[in-house]
Amino acid sequence: MSIKLEIPSYLQPFANDTEVAEINGSTIGECLNELVKQFADMKKMLFTRSGKLHGYVGIYLNGEDAYPNELAKPVKDGDKLLIMYIVGGG
Amino acid sequence: MLSRDERQRYDRQIMIRGIGEEGQEKLKQARVVIAGSGGLGSPAAIYLAAAGVGRIRLIDHDKVELSNLNRQVLHWDKDIGRSKVDSAKEKLGQLNHEVSLETVDETISEANVSQLVAGFDIILDAMDNLPTRYLLNKAAIDNRIPFVHGAVYGFEGRVMTIIPRQTACLRCVYRGLIPQEKFPVIGVTPAIIGCIQATEVIKYIVGTGHLLTNRLLVYDGLNMKFTELIVRKDEYCEHCGNPERGDGK
Repeated sequence: MSIKLEIPSYLQPFANDTEVAEINGSTIGECLNELVKQFADMKKMLFTRSGKLHGYVGIYLNGEDAYPNELAKPVKDGDKLLIMYIVGGG
Repeated sequence: MLSRDERQRYDRQIMIRGIGEEGQEKLKQARVVIAGSGGLGSPAAIYLAAAGVGRIRLIDHDKVELSNLNRQVLHWDKDIGRSKVDSAKEKLGQLNHEVSLETVDETISEANVSQLVAGFDIILDAMDNLPTRYLLNKAAIDNRIPFVHGAVYGFEGRVMTIIPRQTACLRCVYRGLIPQEKFPVIGVTPAIIGCIQATEVIKYIVGTGHLLTNRLLVYDGLNMKFTELIVRKDEYCEHCGNPERGDGK
């Protein structure tokens, strides 16, 4: 499954300034693990020590919030994933 | 009833289908809280005052600093060291003397937030931190006051409108906290986001158009792209749902 995963500007420094990564996986969790394999620094930005997504990370599948149980949601070829990181500036 | 001067001042917007004299009268009667008078609050307040919102309450506890001036356009060189709400009130009063401007030089806290927003028609989130945004979101839901969220980071911005108990709230979408940090920003980003927030406020007051409810608008200035994300009301949300049955995330 080839999935396009969009990385927000906030996280791009942890992914060699990659804006969109092409990854494989059959669930959102597998895709994010694949991303972490490519960019090890992303692990601490996305996951807690126990392997759950941080509360401040949102995952959007084809433009829709994948919460709850994001990691278990299936994905199919051509799907688009977007990582949303909370921003708080004003 | 609009005066002759008001008809003249607002002539071009009264011409807009969906506003008219009736909509202008609604703007004149409206009471808006703007929480923050910095990067987002400056453009939002300028355009809401220019549009003829009758009563605006500005809340900010900060003083103007040199490092604010790249984006907080209500504050100028001469204002450094001055209270932001005083600086903002002066400029907005000169822009439109018909608007009633009320300033609150206080820190928004759990203890005072409900009192600060009570009796107002809508709240515009122009804060620079998440904990205060969450306080405002909760107060908006508890007091059933619509809430227009905005936030920025660098060239990126986000906007969402919340109608309490009907649509997804900020806590349905943002489920955590990030460490407080000095965030990067260029002035044009809050200018765009603050103006979109002001547009939402005007539409809500007048009752025209479609609000950004259950939709998170993401602005990417570097690629000059707007993305609309679909968000849903979370039945287990700790602010607007029933967290007792939630997964505790």
